[in-house]
Amino acid sequence: MIHQYFEESRSKWVKILVGISIAFILCFILNISLGSVLIPIQDIFSFLTGGETSKESWSLILSNFRIPKALTAIFVGSALGISGLQMQTLFRNPLAGPYILGISSGAGLGVALVIFLGFYFGGFLSITGIGRSWLLVVSAGLGSFLVLLVIAVVAARIKDSVSLLIIGLMFGTASGALVSILQFFSQAENIQAYVLWSFGNLGSLSWKELGVFIPVLTIGLIASVMLSKHLNALLLGENYARSLGLNIRKTRLLIIVNTSILAGTVTAFCGPIAFFGVAMPHLTRMLFNTSNHLLLTPVLILFGATLMLLFDSISQLPGFGATLPINAVTSLIGAPFVIYLLIRKKNLGYSFNA
Amino acid sequence: MSLLNTKSLSIGYRKGSESRILQKDINLLLNEGEIVSLMGQNGVGKTTFIKTLAGLLEPINGSVHYGDKDLKEITPSELARKMSLVLTEKPFNFNITPIELISISRHPYSNWIGVLSQQDKRIIEWALEETHLNYIANRKLYELSDGQLQKVMIARALAQETDLIILDEPAAHLDLNNKIEVMLLLKKIARQGKSILISTHDLQVSTQLSDRLLLFNFNEEAKEGVPEDLILNGTIQKSLYLDQYGYDMISGTINIDQSGKTVKISGTSEVKFWVTMALKRKGFVISEKKALLEVICKGMNDLEVVEGGEKNTAESIAELLFKLNTH
Repeated sequence: MIHQYFEESRSKWVKILVGISIAFILCFILNISLGSVLIPIQDIFSFLTGGETSKESWSLILSNFRIPKALTAIFVGSALGISGLQMQTLFRNPLAGPYILGISSGAGLGVALVIFLGFYFGGFLSITGIGRSWLLVVSAGLGSFLVLLVIAVVAARIKDSVSLLIIGLMFGTASGALVSILQFFSQAENIQAYVLWSFGNLGSLSWKELGVFIPVLTIGLIASVMLSKHLNALLLGENYARSLGLNIRKTRLLIIVNTSILAGTVTAFCGPIAFFGVAMPHLTRMLFNTSNHLLLTPVLILFGATLMLLFDSISQLPGFGATLPINAVTSLIGAPFVIYLLIRKKNLGYSFNA
Repeated sequence: MSLLNTKSLSIGYRKGSESRILQKDINLLLNEGEIVSLMGQNGVGKTTFIKTLAGLLEPINGSVHYGDKDLKEITPSELARKMSLVLTEKPFNFNITPIELISISRHPYSNWIGVLSQQDKRIIEWALEETHLNYIANRKLYELSDGQLQKVMIARALAQETDLIILDEPAAHLDLNNKIEVMLLLKKIARQGKSILISTHDLQVSTQLSDRLLLFNFNEEAKEGVPEDLILNGTIQKSLYLDQYGYDMISGTINIDQSGKTVKISGTSEVKFWVTMALKRKGFVISEKKALLEVICKGMNDLEVVEGGEKNTAESIAELLFKLNTH
């Protein structure tokens, strides 16, 4: 009987994974086909299979702009989805997301300091090109790393996760306040530069930056697969998890560090991409009706990447003229979808004992 | 051989430098194959004791030993192979199946991504069969009743394959059938050489199932012994403060109030028993001697009331109570 159960469950999940993989490939092709320059689909295929494109410029557009952007979308989608899932399970809170502990606010503060204070020391706006983007990456990275450091120190001292959650929220609010003070005293151009950063942007990464971005996130994603077993134990509550041999403080710290690496890296390179990390785990749980992390983690990695490719494709659909900010697209299209699923499936509450 | 023993263990909660001690100087020895029930009133420290044994709370004083090893020297993963828990708290996520939940208890044995071996699957199947849960193994936790969920949690503890199982109020949500089933199951497991510690309020469970009782009292040291001894010498009655409510240990009933008339009941034993119960509930004082009021139980539908020489009959206890003007 039980063998039949495991057999059925395996074939069901293999089917689901194959299904998402096909969707993933389709979204990838759709994503790199769209843009201000129309490239025929035959040329896309010929490029992907290592052949030539009819025009040489198309090859350049694909390899220098569209492929890096698609790769960015893939990793951003996976990383944000997974870190949202980890935070929601750790804090048993459906409203938690990758930024719940103040990582994006920390990054925002770092960026704000560079942009606004930079104005006084020679001017941030005068720096252009590669230098400017790395400056943003480093400042955002340092900001989120500092927040992570404080959270990790607090997490090692504090027993319950709810207090930690609230402390994270306080950090977020405090850094938000500092940012608004900085904004209050700064010039319009600087504020615009900051607002542009806060929109989120998937298209700014070059191959050089991807050389850092992809390996770091790959390590984070592998670590999250390794943490799935512990996240499952946490589904029973902390007392049961401990009786199963789980070292709660160590596990909590690992989860926080893992999430911070994933979300912090994304924020550093692409800005704060809100909503996706909160909504994605719910979407996956509802669509595939499970809370088993051994299944959710791989599904979410693949599904998050697929949806981010799709959202990014929508943000540059022909007819819009310009590319819409990715944050606006994920929220505008994602929110109604989540609401629809909540009303339709009615199974989300069970994941949070409600 | 002793699986678990506590040495002058004090339990309670720490608040900064102060500590509130609930129980002092507990010396419990739990042997292989033994079932020990832990009893006491609400708030006396039963759950605290269980959490201390499980390493979820620090002892205030004294120590806990598994075999010859101090709990302090046992790593969490080592402890997970020695002791499993059934707590009163529920899992926080109900969107998993009993099989998935029980699979989690194989964590101490499975590899880093939690892949189940054939052996793990066999154990899960065994745990489901022992608890007769096969018919719901595939559902989601949110589709189960409280009693079914309780049995799933017991199956989970079984699948952890530990020599000691500690259960906090395992019979709380169970109906009579399931309670008996779980009791028999625990007995069977104990016979296979495992030790079981149960905290319970259920005298039926504790007296019929357990080899020994551990009684916690307020402001007094814990008492320990074979259930029957503790009943005969009045320790249970005293510990659980049953005396003040006139608890009758033999019939297992309480005397709610005894302000009514005195009545003598005679007749066939089973009918007499239930008529006695009904009249006691209505406040009559039952007497063995001759009384002004007498009820003669001739059969289930044939009850006779004699009051001051006047005879009356009743066909049911309801009618009897009506005629006695007690409704």
